[in-house]
Amino acid sequence: MAGPKSSSSTPKHAPSTKPALSSQSSVALQSLWSAYHDATPSRLKFIDSFLVFLILSGVIQFVYCVLVTSFPFNAFLAGFASTVGQFVLTASLRSQVNSVNRALFKDVSPERAFADFVVGSVVLHFFVFNFLG
Amino acid sequence: MGPQILLSVLFCLIAAVHAGQLSLQSPKLTVVGPDGGKLRSEPISLQKRADPVVLGANDILKLTFQVTDQTSDGGVQPHQTFLRFFDSTTGEEGIQPVKVTPSGKAKFELNMAKPPSSLPPSGTAPLRVSLLLGSFVHGPAALDLFDLHVPPSASAPVHPDESFYHPRPEIAHTFRPEPKLPPRFVSAFFAALVLAPWVVLFGLWGAVKPSVPHLFSPSILSFVLSLALIEGLLLWYWVELRLGHILLYGSGAAALALLTGKQALVGIAARRTGSSK
Repeated sequence: MAGPKSSSSTPKHAPSTKPALSSQSSVALQSLWSAYHDATPSRLKFIDSFLVFLILSGVIQFVYCVLVTSFPFNAFLAGFASTVGQFVLTASLRSQVNSVNRALFKDVSPERAFADFVVGSVVLHFFVFNFLG
Repeated sequence: MGPQILLSVLFCLIAAVHAGQLSLQSPKLTVVGPDGGKLRSEPISLQKRADPVVLGANDILKLTFQVTDQTSDGGVQPHQTFLRFFDSTTGEEGIQPVKVTPSGKAKFELNMAKPPSSLPPSGTAPLRVSLLLGSFVHGPAALDLFDLHVPPSASAPVHPDESFYHPRPEIAHTFRPEPKLPPRFVSAFFAALVLAPWVVLFGLWGAVKPSVPHLFSPSILSFVLSLALIEGLLLWYWVELRLGHILLYGSGAAALALLTGKQALVGIAARRTGSSK
């Protein structure tokens, strides 16, 4: 995702022997997941679940277009563009609102970031509904 | 030729004078050979058609006549005097103006060695030669004179754009076949699949359970409701509204959202900075 993760928690492994590569990567993934789960505030997780939803939505629409039909093409473009555009807006909101990035966004308060997000989303929705037909 | 005769007839009617009839006095035809010897010389009779006149490639045709009117003694000068050479097989005609003196006398010369450009392209058919007289104060006259055989000319030049002035061949368009919707079962399955992420979203949100302590405070609630109003307007626009309407209503709803949003966000910011202090 966009925001940097906290690196405060340490991974709980360091085996002396060399396990197989797959279990090594699965342990890494496991520790990544638990680090994310512990360190991320619930509000950021709220935004992250919305991002996951947008990705799934976009992927499924794209798969339908590739597998079944691209007719009507404008509807596919509108739907896909809506997920992509909303993902971009939400990701930028997340990075601006993340307290870890306070130093990077000194002039942008979280409220200002949210207001920008709302305006951008409304404009995006208007154009998407226009193109949806 | 047609519109000119029509115009002169119109003027005669407007002038409302007794329309005298124009006629020719002592019309004479002479064909002179290249050496100057007279091959043929005779008066033209308007009642009995003369024999066809044959012109060689170097002969000269000379015409003399005097235009008169029944009422006056002397000649009259008509306003328009033309010699018309008409080929009935090709439909081509050539008009040659003839100079007439104020006393009505006229002389015309046609030299086949240097033919005028007004002579129509002709084949072997004879050209009918007629004299057209137009005047404001007399009725018009078209006097058939004689038939003229001239050496055949080259055919009329074909205009370079000639080919564009014929009907073009019919265009047969082939169109792409109309796109078809997939079978209903497939559409339904994929519709359900596309809506599945909503289930995932609500599941994740339920698992996350973010704290929203002030969600139903008046400022935040009114802001959320005005955003919902905007989205509702957009849905209505998708279904029914026209662009002018949505822009009008949308700008109103946007102004409302701006006001409530400013209030709500200022309140949240105050709470955030106040609590951190």
